[in-house]
Amino acid sequence: MKRLLPIFLLLWVFTACQKEPTYYGTQWPSPQDAADFTLTSAAGPVSLSDFSDKVVLLYFGYTFCPDVCPATLSDLGQVMRALGDDAAQIQVIMITVDPERDTPQQLADYVAHFDPTFIGLSGTEAEIAEVAAQYGVFYERHEGTAATGYLIDHTARVFVIDRSGQYWLSFPFGMEREQMQSDLENVLRQQ
Amino acid sequence: MKRWMILAALLTFALLLAACGGDAGEMEVANVWGRTSPMAAANGAFYMQITNNTADDDKLLSASAAACGTVELHEMYMKEGDVMGMRPVPDGYIALPKGETVELKVGGLHVMCIDKVQEFNIGDQIPITLTFENAGTMEVTAEIRDNAEMPSMDTDGGMNSGG
Repeated sequence: MKRLLPIFLLLWVFTACQKEPTYYGTQWPSPQDAADFTLTSAAGPVSLSDFSDKVVLLYFGYTFCPDVCPATLSDLGQVMRALGDDAAQIQVIMITVDPERDTPQQLADYVAHFDPTFIGLSGTEAEIAEVAAQYGVFYERHEGTAATGYLIDHTARVFVIDRSGQYWLSFPFGMEREQMQSDLENVLRQQ
Repeated sequence: MKRWMILAALLTFALLLAACGGDAGEMEVANVWGRTSPMAAANGAFYMQITNNTADDDKLLSASAAACGTVELHEMYMKEGDVMGMRPVPDGYIALPKGETVELKVGGLHVMCIDKVQEFNIGDQIPITLTFENAGTMEVTAEIRDNAEMPSMDTDGGMNSGG
């Protein structure tokens, strides 16, 4: 038995190495194909497939949103800076759920505030609705006040699309930055 | 001599009484901050902790700021499937029960700054006037930051809650 101990130890180390990384974000039971789309940035049309060599973080929001959207984008910006060189392999894209008020230029100015590499996309109501549906993203207008105009309820998740064009991981609202960073490092290492 | 002592005793007594009567303190507003925000963002939000040390329940009725076209009191809500939304607080005020601290924070209650008239950059100090039902008006200053937490002095900030 004593002689077997080193073998057990080796096996244990081996299985520990094989262990799946721990993900803090929400995982889908099986990977979903990330549907390609083409929407409008301030610099022209942008497709998801333009970034097939990167991990894409996809977020749906709107610039009128004063609380959860800036909080999420600010967190993502800080995670990008914390990732250092790895950040070059990640592309953050925000798609507006408010194409009526969010012009491509306004979106560009907005997202650049959080990180100069972030891309903001708009489109027609129909284009946005189609992309949102493909990702199971819900959004709905409701009455605001005279000052705010209409407000929009929307899915507050960040979708993580890996370099094989699939998503199986997402970041819920309020997830800690250190956890997002760890998840992204694992996604980058896995592929 | 005796008279002096009686006076002193009376004065002490009166002071003690006054201290008892003035048991209740004031409305305390702490950690007032807002997030950095470009001009492309029409709106912003301010957060704070309000502790009602007065003897009575109170209400935050409204707020105003020269940096904002309009200021409203809003709350976030979450619906099924991680859908988040925002609305003005029900009944138009934020209840401040006596002896309690109400926290306005990311994903919860906030003072909404509508039609911002300026960019909010790190370190900016934004004056805000709060109006309470009983405690009257109070001037506070929001510090513009990236996060709810004050930047810590140690190298990498440590674990922060994302919010």
